[in-house]
Amino acid sequence: MNGLDRSGRTQPASTESESTAAVRLDDVTHEYGSDSGRFGSGNDRTLTALRDVSLAVEPGTIVGLRGPSGSGKSTILHAVSGLLVPTSGTVELLGTDLTALSARERVRIRRDHVGIVFQRFHLLPSLTARANVALPLVQAGVPRSKRRERAERLLEQVGLGDRTTHLPGELSGGERQRVAIARSLSTDPDVIVADEPTGELDTATGAEVLELLTSLGDDRAVLVASHDSATLAIADDVVRLRDGMVIDDAG
Amino acid sequence: MAASTGAVALTISILLVVTGIALALATAGVVTETDADATVVPQQGETLSDVGGVEPVQLGAANERAAAIRDREGVDHASPVLVETVRLEGADSEVSDAESGESDAESRSSGLVALVGVVPDDEERTVAGLSTAGLEPGDPQYANGTYDGQRTGEIVLSRAAADRLDAAEGEAFRVVGNRTATDQTAFTVAGVDAATGNERDADVPVALVHLSELQSISGASAGELADRVLVWGDAEATEAAAGDAYPNATVETADGTDPSQLFDDGLAFATSLIALVVGVAICAAFVATTMGITVNEDRRMLAVLEAVGFPTHSRLAVVGVSTLVTTLLGAVLGIVGGVLGVLAVDAVAGATVATRTVAVIHPLFVPYAFAVALVSGLVAVPYPLVVAARTSVLDEVGR
Repeated sequence: MNGLDRSGRTQPASTESESTAAVRLDDVTHEYGSDSGRFGSGNDRTLTALRDVSLAVEPGTIVGLRGPSGSGKSTILHAVSGLLVPTSGTVELLGTDLTALSARERVRIRRDHVGIVFQRFHLLPSLTARANVALPLVQAGVPRSKRRERAERLLEQVGLGDRTTHLPGELSGGERQRVAIARSLSTDPDVIVADEPTGELDTATGAEVLELLTSLGDDRAVLVASHDSATLAIADDVVRLRDGMVIDDAG
Repeated sequence: MAASTGAVALTISILLVVTGIALALATAGVVTETDADATVVPQQGETLSDVGGVEPVQLGAANERAAAIRDREGVDHASPVLVETVRLEGADSEVSDAESGESDAESRSSGLVALVGVVPDDEERTVAGLSTAGLEPGDPQYANGTYDGQRTGEIVLSRAAADRLDAAEGEAFRVVGNRTATDQTAFTVAGVDAATGNERDADVPVALVHLSELQSISGASAGELADRVLVWGDAEATEAAAGDAYPNATVETADGTDPSQLFDDGLAFATSLIALVVGVAICAAFVATTMGITVNEDRRMLAVLEAVGFPTHSRLAVVGVSTLVTTLLGAVLGIVGGVLGVLAVDAVAGATVATRTVAVIHPLFVPYAFAVALVSGLVAVPYPLVVAARTSVLDEVGR
């Protein structure tokens, strides 16, 4: 798949350690209910979502996050995406510590290097499939003709070449998730995070979506959070979580 | 968004109707109904008189300058116009008053009338809603400024004036009251115009007389004073001639209502100003509330935008632009509604209680409506922006 020319895009700074991992979490703890600042209040009104979690994801690998509801899977994905700053610890994306960046810088990093696939798709209902896929490219400053061309190519790759002008309301659940996957790939990101990508789909459709996710991974680092064994079957490694802690890190 | 647009449209419509009523108030006048192509009026607020505001500003040397305008190519006729309200009394009503011992100011053949002094010519012209054809052409008494020429004593009454005075053609009336030595000057009714007079002030009894004869009665002959000068002829020529004769006065062309008159009428100005302030306040409140609700319902969309890489300022720009577009769209609908409202108010008022135009429309209403909508949108936009800025991505699209 042709990718975007990376010149001009935000390039994360390299650290002294020259880590090869695309994603690295070091002793990450996050408490909900405390301020989003980097201290733990320890009071009983806070909910500890993550406790001293460390993990790394290499480029070209799929890592599954497994655990029951409330185990911290989504919190890890949000931290990797830059959607939240953990209470303590560091989150490195391509060598850049996201916890040290401003909100605006994290948005920029996310736009250029992270693709997100939600359980509930979260497509904009008033935009066509093509416009939804092209959405991240608008902020990236890509010209309109190139946005359209790229979006149509991606939709072709996910098997929706004949659905480009359909609104999300006119697509099935599986088709909507395919559009969401195409959207996550529009800026040619280095990392893809998928939170329960088959949660809203039937078994057969879910399997198609997983196959698609696997085929389009290429040299990207992919994190998939799920409590479903079938979904995690595509993972090269699976990290088991319970109560915010890593209890097992086995393939 | 539809609610916001509708609210703006309704507010703008009401604002335009009220402004139209205020404008009609301001432009109503005894002599506004004329078929002249240009009108010279004195510019307000530029006199140095210590008693400015007690008497209205008037034009001087009106007779002489009107004559100069008439000599210009392209000008058919020019006439100064002077309006004075006087009490007319039947010239043969003394005996009846003495016998009855009564002094009823509103007796059968006595009443207040707005005398309108003009200089008629051979053509039939309309001044104060009345035809000048009933008056002898020219202004004989003026006699090149000496005011000792032959006096005609002619008066043409409007229907309302004739009814008030119970007058008919050929009857004589005299001017009474504390005026100059020419009090008791008599006029003979040369005709009763079937028209009710000025369409906007049909209840006001008006009558046409020769200009110099009215100037003599009112003391305006000293400076050849007049309230305005009417000019008929080619549009460009009349405007140019009027402007040359009175370079410091205002020349109004025959294109209908002049909105600047709003500022000359205290009541009309206050009405329209209050309507403006209230309109902006209500409009802004409506837009802020409805757009805030809309943004609140669209939190997920804003969260998705943030998730895919739209920074805060871009998301807020979407909200801001939506708000302003909504108000401007509302302005368009409001203009249509306002025009229809003015027409409806006039129709209803005319069919029921009013005898004149009560609301008018002017092309300036269009930019006015857009300006009000824009200001309202700018006042309202902070609230939906705050609502948008407080959107939590994790709460909306956390999974």
